[in-house]
Amino acid sequence: MKDLLLVAHIGGRQCAFDAIDVQSVIELDEVTPVPGTFDHIAGIAALRSQTLTVICCRKALGIDTRKLSLDHRAVVVTVRGHSYALKVDKIEDITTGVISPETVLGGFGDEWSRVATGMIETTLGPSLLLDLPQLIEAISDDVRAVA
Amino acid sequence: MDELLADFVAETREMLEASEGEIIAWEANPSDRARLDTIFRFVHTVKGNCGFFDFPRLASLSHAAEDALADCRAGRRSADQALVSAVLAVIDRIVQMVDAIEAGEEFPAGGDENLIVALEPETQMVEAPDLEPQTSHPHPADDQASSKPGQTEEVESQSSQRSQKQRKPDHPAAVQRSIRLPVDLLDRVMGGVSDMVLARNDLAHRLRQAGTQPTIDGPFERLTSILSDVRDAVTRMRMQRIETLFSGLPRLVRDLSNELGKQVMVDLEGGDVEMDREMIETIRDPLTHIIRNAIDHGIEKPSDRIADGKREIGLLSIAARQSGNTIAIVVSDDGNGLAEDKIVQKALSTKLIDAQQHENMSREEILQLIFEPGFSTASAVSNISGRGVGLDVVRDNLERVGGSIKVSSTPGIGTLFTLQMPLTLSIIPGLTVESQGQRFGIPQSYLEEIVHASSQTLDFKRLGDTSLVAFRGQRIPCLNLNEVLDLPPDKTDSEPALGQKTMVILRMASGEQFCLAVDGIAHHGDLVIKPLAPAIMKCGLYAGSSLLDDGQPILLLDVANIAKRYDFVSDARARIQKTELFDQKKVAKASERIMLFTDWQGRRCAVRLELVHRIETVASSVVTYTAGIARAVIDGVILPLIGLPDGELRTSKLRLLRLSDGMSELLLAVKHVDDTAELTSAPKPVEGDPLVHAITLVGDNPALLIDGHELFSRHGEPPAPCAKPTCQLPDNEWARAILEPLIVSAGYEIATQDDCDVAIVFADDLSAESEQYSADERRIIRLRNEPEVKSENPENAFPTIYRYDRDGLIQALKHASRGGGER
Repeated sequence: MKDLLLVAHIGGRQCAFDAIDVQSVIELDEVTPVPGTFDHIAGIAALRSQTLTVICCRKALGIDTRKLSLDHRAVVVTVRGHSYALKVDKIEDITTGVISPETVLGGFGDEWSRVATGMIETTLGPSLLLDLPQLIEAISDDVRAVA
Repeated sequence: MDELLADFVAETREMLEASEGEIIAWEANPSDRARLDTIFRFVHTVKGNCGFFDFPRLASLSHAAEDALADCRAGRRSADQALVSAVLAVIDRIVQMVDAIEAGEEFPAGGDENLIVALEPETQMVEAPDLEPQTSHPHPADDQASSKPGQTEEVESQSSQRSQKQRKPDHPAAVQRSIRLPVDLLDRVMGGVSDMVLARNDLAHRLRQAGTQPTIDGPFERLTSILSDVRDAVTRMRMQRIETLFSGLPRLVRDLSNELGKQVMVDLEGGDVEMDREMIETIRDPLTHIIRNAIDHGIEKPSDRIADGKREIGLLSIAARQSGNTIAIVVSDDGNGLAEDKIVQKALSTKLIDAQQHENMSREEILQLIFEPGFSTASAVSNISGRGVGLDVVRDNLERVGGSIKVSSTPGIGTLFTLQMPLTLSIIPGLTVESQGQRFGIPQSYLEEIVHASSQTLDFKRLGDTSLVAFRGQRIPCLNLNEVLDLPPDKTDSEPALGQKTMVILRMASGEQFCLAVDGIAHHGDLVIKPLAPAIMKCGLYAGSSLLDDGQPILLLDVANIAKRYDFVSDARARIQKTELFDQKKVAKASERIMLFTDWQGRRCAVRLELVHRIETVASSVVTYTAGIARAVIDGVILPLIGLPDGELRTSKLRLLRLSDGMSELLLAVKHVDDTAELTSAPKPVEGDPLVHAITLVGDNPALLIDGHELFSRHGEPPAPCAKPTCQLPDNEWARAILEPLIVSAGYEIATQDDCDVAIVFADDLSAESEQYSADERRIIRLRNEPEVKSENPENAFPTIYRYDRDGLIQALKHASRGGGER
């Protein structure tokens, strides 16, 4: 698999996004909170005249964010016609995958298995290849809904 | 060359779309010459265009169809059912081939001969080819193309010009010149324009801060107006009439009903409704699916229909309506309706519901089960609607774009599907409110009134956990927006009590009202609504997002859903609402409200709030002076304007209070509007200024109370009389251009028929007409062309008036209208 990947850290783990899905990496300045919605939705932000839904990837995976640093940049992706900005610990670099994604015996843990396509070897080391629709939309029923 | 090919494909498609309806109309009446010509032109153009490219099969197909149609045109042959079907088959094959060409695929060989043979009349099998001898002769354009291979493009443009010339004069639906663009590009342009508007707003804000700078303000105003034009145009670019979707439906219905042995008439309505191009594409499949369903399952076979006492032809009606920012498409058939028991059976057998659930379900709810995944009542899966796509897919597709679908049905009478779709790029007027420092939008359509709760008009009570306010004689429930949204309380200053907030009274479509308590009103204007991500939509509080002038995104509250969440739309609510409140009068009396403003003399004035209809901000240019009286045009109405400063206006914008006494309106110019307040202290009458009748204390400062009675008696203009007398004019240019304005300004309406109050005629044309009016001579005014009365015409006993004798004419009109008034 020679596709380009964007490598980032979420909750201290190294993850990879398929670069085809990634529109851009932007600096997020002002985020308008969306009260009454899921915890992992940090709010909405404007990218030119477009509205982005800002997703905190750590919260989407139920990770305690307190001890983690946060990249001031966000990854902009489009899933089913809607644009999202993903907040992660750190955006590492763009790289290529060395081998195709594969599963690991025993999985990656419930939350991670839900959002990961598999493990992918990259030039920056092994990363979890993330399935964007899963990460963004399919939130399990025991959601941390505030409403 | 690729570009030429793309053009060919596009042009063929476009023409086909335009003639789709014609083909069906032609079939209904094969002798219709105009339709025949349209279809002939289509195949002819295809044939001609094929000459440029190496498409021998396409050429021979279109050629054969052209031959057959040419015979019909020449009267050598009459168009019958067989011919229509054969021509349609050829057109279908052409479409398939064009599709293959576009995809760059090889079209499977064979089958063409059958189609061509089918075109030939059975009786004239032998003669037909001879009648049109030019088989081997290429189309003239072909010669040109082959002789000048280097100028293909030019030839193409010539030929398309020619074909346009051929098409234009008698083409029933003249196609506008158009180009096709990728939607992405349009999106980019739209995004760019939106950004430009935001940048302009930002700049405007900065300019205001910097103060007036004539050298910059002028060009800036120009930029503003250009930008708003561009914005309008760009918005329209994305819109398309729903007609483009409808035009293909007659053909679909025809094919389906033929296949199923049913007779269906289709009735289309609302084709001029405009909606987003992409939205039209999104609903194309769902709509097709519902139509298939209606014809397959809904409408019965002709024999069954006759047995049921219905017309043998089923009626399928498809209507589009726009209401607010949604579009509703209603598909109804007059078939046998949905069978409730069958649906229940199926739902039970597929474990969609259990028996207990079933008991609690109303017929309405049961019918909606047909949209559940894995549902299909048809016992035999036919090739029409049993294609593995269920109504659940239809619903999913619609919900993905924020739409909905529901069904209602009466057994034996018919079924009605209602599809609701939002206009994605809708711009709606809205109110921006503030809650805990964050802003939210509310669509204006829900807005009933805004009341500052500090006033005593609102009687505020807490019952149990519910808050109620008394508003106009009714107790309506009150929600605190901060609680609805679960906003964390502000740490710095304690939240004001609910009774101290601004109350936004909202009215639902069903008539229920409720009150939303917010911290403040931030802004009021157009909001460009954009869809929200499904994850946010799921919480049910928001309907969309919008960008403020400074580029900050805000959320649009889903008022209907919030009301539903708090059970404000149940029947029980409506009952509570209807109980009239007791001493409403007392409440109203206790608080007379006034609007405080500063007039152009710098005085602090007040006017009773009941008089204020609206606050308007207008450009100074709408003000005109006639004989010392200023007037301004607002919403297309000319209203008297008072309170302007003496001398030149130095501002470009004017704040006006639009006052109304219920009958007439007038405008009061103010320097700025300050606030509204209670009229607490008793007004103390003062004299001097006739328009000020009292002075009152508001807070610690005095304010001059404007005398409404004096104001309207002096300056109010009576409304135009409802029924003006009518006047008939001679039918010529002079009367229309010169006489009519005079008559209208004298308070007459121009009569279009013989029945009128007054008639003006030229004495010279008096002939038969004179007898007609002789019944009441006072109602005729005769005009003459010469200033002096002709002496040589003594028998003309009727008085005449010179046509430019203005005073005489008006006198005569007054006299005549009094006479006419007695009728």
